[in-house]
Amino acid sequence: MKPLSPRERRFLENRLRSLYGVEACFNDLVLIKCGRRRIRAATKETMELASRLRGVQQVGLYVMKISDGDISLSVEGSQLLDDEIKDNVIELDEEQVEKWMKAIPIKTEKTYRGRYVVGKFNHLYLGSARVSRNGLLYPQIPKWRRIP
Amino acid sequence: MDEHEVLEMLEEKGVSFKKIPWARYGYVVEDEPIDLGKTVEHMLGLIYIQAPISMVPVEVLNPKPGEKVLDLCAAPGSKSTQIAQFLDGLGVLVANDVSFDRVKALASNLQRFGVLNVIITLMDGRKFPRFARECFDKVLVDAPCSSLGIVSKNWGIARSWNLELAKRLSKLQRQLIIAGFDCLKPGGELVYATCTLTVEENEMVVQYLLERRENAVLKEIDLPSLRYRCGIVEWDGMKLDEELEKTIRIMPYDNWAEGFYVARVLKEGDS
Repeated sequence: MKPLSPRERRFLENRLRSLYGVEACFNDLVLIKCGRRRIRAATKETMELASRLRGVQQVGLYVMKISDGDISLSVEGSQLLDDEIKDNVIELDEEQVEKWMKAIPIKTEKTYRGRYVVGKFNHLYLGSARVSRNGLLYPQIPKWRRIP
Repeated sequence: MDEHEVLEMLEEKGVSFKKIPWARYGYVVEDEPIDLGKTVEHMLGLIYIQAPISMVPVEVLNPKPGEKVLDLCAAPGSKSTQIAQFLDGLGVLVANDVSFDRVKALASNLQRFGVLNVIITLMDGRKFPRFARECFDKVLVDAPCSSLGIVSKNWGIARSWNLELAKRLSKLQRQLIIAGFDCLKPGGELVYATCTLTVEENEMVVQYLLERRENAVLKEIDLPSLRYRCGIVEWDGMKLDEELEKTIRIMPYDNWAEGFYVARVLKEGDS
């Protein structure tokens, strides 16, 4: 687990700005590379203590995955960014939320820029869904937290 | 999203609940027309479902924002998520467990709950003081135990219980409580808890700590409107430390819930 370099962080901020319209992101947090594509976020104090401990498995929260320059936000990642997310957001109704949390594809008429959109229900952000060419959104909800 | 907004969301689904007077964020579900474990609120980590008495140890520990807290036997993470809620994003929570499989469940629960200030470690809790001596303001030792307090939920526990098991676990618990105590900063507090009722796994473990660490002092526990009784100070013809009366035993028939034992220990010294 290694914190992002200033250059990597700048790249990420630029991508978040162009994909989701996010101006300020994770300002007080340390972003950590976890594997090749996954990013976690943690407080500075947490990182400092983690460097002293042994047997560390994970630090902070998984917030996003980067694939080919596109960014898929986790549920918690999108909730941290909250109303900073301005573009590529789909407002869901109650029925769609159920589908989303079951990872059932949702039909959309709209076209989106980029390969991912963020789901929103009332004030809650629900992470990203992959946009397919046939107009379906595939919610990226991990298996362990899907509604059965 | 605050507590009341979440409660409103659930009320709209027909769920009714009652505040637990001694638990800061706890509610008992009275009417559950839907399976709460399958709701969006649960999957998003807006609620966490656990037995009410299981919330007692963290209520007694009372972590405050900004503190460094160690949960030595953390998996599957009910108490860790509760500690995180008390910390409110400030300070650090270290959630440790010895089992890889159980750490996976712990990680999922902490992710679902959205905890940023957490470190998950995989290690034998007895080895923790080797590199984290006097590092934490609060330590929770929710020790592995023979689980007699939850027999009403799982009758198999009573069938497989025997005194040898309790004695074997007692040895491990003694090592864990000492390790947990050594990780505390002077002036810090440790809570020792089990969900069992045997003296060997409870009072005798705390007595072992008091005998081996001079600066370990038991503190009173006060939980309004929860029924409990004092710790045992005489057992099987043996006199234990009188101070053990400050520890508490929650018997299953006291609140028609699980049984628990909880002790609150202060590490004397200037913080």
